[in-house]
Amino acid sequence: MVFRLLGLATAAAILAGAGSAPAATLTIGTSAEPSSLDPHYHNLGPNTRARKHVFKSLVGFDAKMRLQPELAESWRAVDDTTWEFKLRRDVKFHDGSPFTAQDVVYTVCRIPNVANSPSSFTVYTKGIAAIEMPDPHTLVIKTAKPYPLLPAELATFGIISAKAAGGEQVTFDKAGCKADSWPTSQAFNDGTLMVGTGPFKHKEYVKGGRQVLERNPDYWGPKPAWDTVVFRPITSDGPRVAALLAGDVDMIETPPVQDMERLKGTPSVTLAQAQSARVIYLALGVQDTPPTITGTDGKNPLKDPRVREALSLAVDRDAIVKRVMQGVAEPANQFLPAGFFGNNPDVKVHTDAAKAKKLLEEAGYPKGFQLTLGTPNDRYINDDKVAQAVAQMFTRIGVQTKVDATTANVFFSKRNKQEYSVFLAGWQADSGEMSSPLKALVATPIKDKGYGTTNYTSWSDPEFDGMLETALATVDDAQREKLLQAAVKRAMDATIIVPLHYEVTVWAMKKGLSYEPRADQYTLAAKVVPAQP
Amino acid sequence: MSAAREETPLRRLARDFARSRVAVIGLAVLVLVMLAAVFAQVVAPQDPYDLAQLDIMDSLQPPGTAGGAGWTYWLGTDDQGRDLWSAIFFGLRTSLEVGILATLIALAVGVAVGMLAAYAGGAVDGAIMRLVDIQLSFPAILIALILLALLGKGVDKVIVALAAVQWAYYARTVRGSALVERRKEYVEAARCLALPHHRIMLRHLLPNCLPPLIVVATVQVAHAIALEATLSFLGVGVPVTEPSLGMLIASGYGFMLSGNYWVALFPGVALLVVIVAINLVGDRLRDVLNPRLSH
Repeated sequence: MVFRLLGLATAAAILAGAGSAPAATLTIGTSAEPSSLDPHYHNLGPNTRARKHVFKSLVGFDAKMRLQPELAESWRAVDDTTWEFKLRRDVKFHDGSPFTAQDVVYTVCRIPNVANSPSSFTVYTKGIAAIEMPDPHTLVIKTAKPYPLLPAELATFGIISAKAAGGEQVTFDKAGCKADSWPTSQAFNDGTLMVGTGPFKHKEYVKGGRQVLERNPDYWGPKPAWDTVVFRPITSDGPRVAALLAGDVDMIETPPVQDMERLKGTPSVTLAQAQSARVIYLALGVQDTPPTITGTDGKNPLKDPRVREALSLAVDRDAIVKRVMQGVAEPANQFLPAGFFGNNPDVKVHTDAAKAKKLLEEAGYPKGFQLTLGTPNDRYINDDKVAQAVAQMFTRIGVQTKVDATTANVFFSKRNKQEYSVFLAGWQADSGEMSSPLKALVATPIKDKGYGTTNYTSWSDPEFDGMLETALATVDDAQREKLLQAAVKRAMDATIIVPLHYEVTVWAMKKGLSYEPRADQYTLAAKVVPAQP
Repeated sequence: MSAAREETPLRRLARDFARSRVAVIGLAVLVLVMLAAVFAQVVAPQDPYDLAQLDIMDSLQPPGTAGGAGWTYWLGTDDQGRDLWSAIFFGLRTSLEVGILATLIALAVGVAVGMLAAYAGGAVDGAIMRLVDIQLSFPAILIALILLALLGKGVDKVIVALAAVQWAYYARTVRGSALVERRKEYVEAARCLALPHHRIMLRHLLPNCLPPLIVVATVQVAHAIALEATLSFLGVGVPVTEPSLGMLIASGYGFMLSGNYWVALFPGVALLVVIVAINLVGDRLRDVLNPRLSH
């Protein structure tokens, strides 16, 4: 009996196989693994990448980080504080239930209720004062103040199913939504709540091993070419490249820049690369007592704008891009590359070691001083190597610089306690426009408003804050861009942040595949196009 | 018999040692390497730890390229533009300094603790040896990693961490030999004379426990150097701007696939030569000093 059943099953399998094309599988070697599959647990690159396959958001980004409709087919500002979103009517969750406005309400309600979230998405839901649902496919969102970034911020988080989580009755309340219980992150990691609206359905997840997705046959958008997608985290650069060359994976994220020449010369591999919205910068701390500067009798030389300018003049960005980044980066002169909303084309940076020495002398430091530069050594592309090159350049103008390179966890916890006078870090503009870096890196920290969340320099410029605030309350795009450009100028003139370069993101894949490189650095399997037979 | 009496133990040791040509070559290499390391400032054309002497534009130059400062990069340069020939000398200095100092500290601590255990016996012995057992049951690299995560970076911290993982070997070795010696008549005699304990331990027991200690210590220097290289390779050892051999190898490792073989190869060869030389010397010392093997 058992044998006969087995035989039947085999015959059926053979028949099915003969009738259709072989199952198309795409295996991708990723450089980092999500910390959780819960789409709202941790606002982190790998998590968002994983989220975008399964859970769509109201608004999306195209490859150039311009907003495009996703679950919302259109939106408009009714007045300065009211937005109306029209939702798609043909969207079904992976369990077959229809997508409605209630799912958005439930998602916004759930985001502040994620237990132990290391980096919450609440910064993107804080602006929402009220949500109304005139009908199941229309959302009216009210904000307390004019809030032009609302559509861009709604692009940062995925919509989960209210039905699957038992939240059909939950209503929005600014003070905190009421529900019997909120879904745990564990329920996503074990697959029970992996019910989204994306092009792929969750199939299997083995932490440290693989994440397997299968095609969602009912997907409302363009159908992906792959029946099955496997993500394999291969965090070491060398083995990741080796896995591609050996054919174990079809595509990899961020091959190391030092291997770029070799990959370009390999006929079985093609590359795709795009400028990203991430700037790598040095932050110059103006604390009263400098944590890592000696030789100045306890004074902080960085409080003198001439010293800050000298350090910026000492940096040869072209040399860093050419020698350390092997040309796979672009010298930066502000927080976002040209072409992004808010870039100020009039802002320039220069390299002039002689002038830098002169400025140091004028400021009263003819012999320089000793400085320790903090940097992570596993977070950004070649981060500690860039820091060492910067240390060379600083030392050459007389500022004897040591590099403290540590693993990202250690670095960020020290950085966040302001234990570095100067540190190297990167900022990716999630919203794809200028207010994101200005608000996070330069603005005076005000926790409630989400200002200065990454300002670890003790810098505070009330006039700049005012300029930014005005810009953020201006709904008219052209006018807002002008205001942001003025704020960029003011921030760059203060030389608190010394931009080094914009990262260029690279993907390597086997010949025949193609991928439109994305400025937001995400690897999206649905956008990988196979060879035409 | 009279001829033998004229011969000091040290001279006999030297003669026995010299019977192995390989060991002599090992010793010669070791001496040369140590001299090179000590006089690195003189031998090396560049001070790779002085950032003002480096130029990022000279990075990753292949061996034999003419440098900007008028001399040639015979072994090429690394990704920061350090002359590898110079960097290897300075790296050797760091590696040997770490290896030797860590071994000496571990030796001192290990001998003191081991001797105490053997001499005191009973509960003290039990407690100390269980501690040694526990320590030895963990991989050395794991303990060193944890210690460095707590202590932070720096040559001094690496030395402390390495000493902390190595003392147990000496404690066990010295206790073993001391237990044997303790029961011998000369110790008995010393006790009958009511000599103070520290005198018995240091003047009578210790000299007779030395031969196995010397052997273990020589091999452990090599072990300490390799461990330091591993720690630096993993990024928790010495600071990036003052690379040891292990760190040079680590930074070169990233360039292996791209054809810039020299960044990792030459420091790797230097590390290999040093460790092989130390092991050859150590092996020969063991053969010479082990009474069961000689004659």
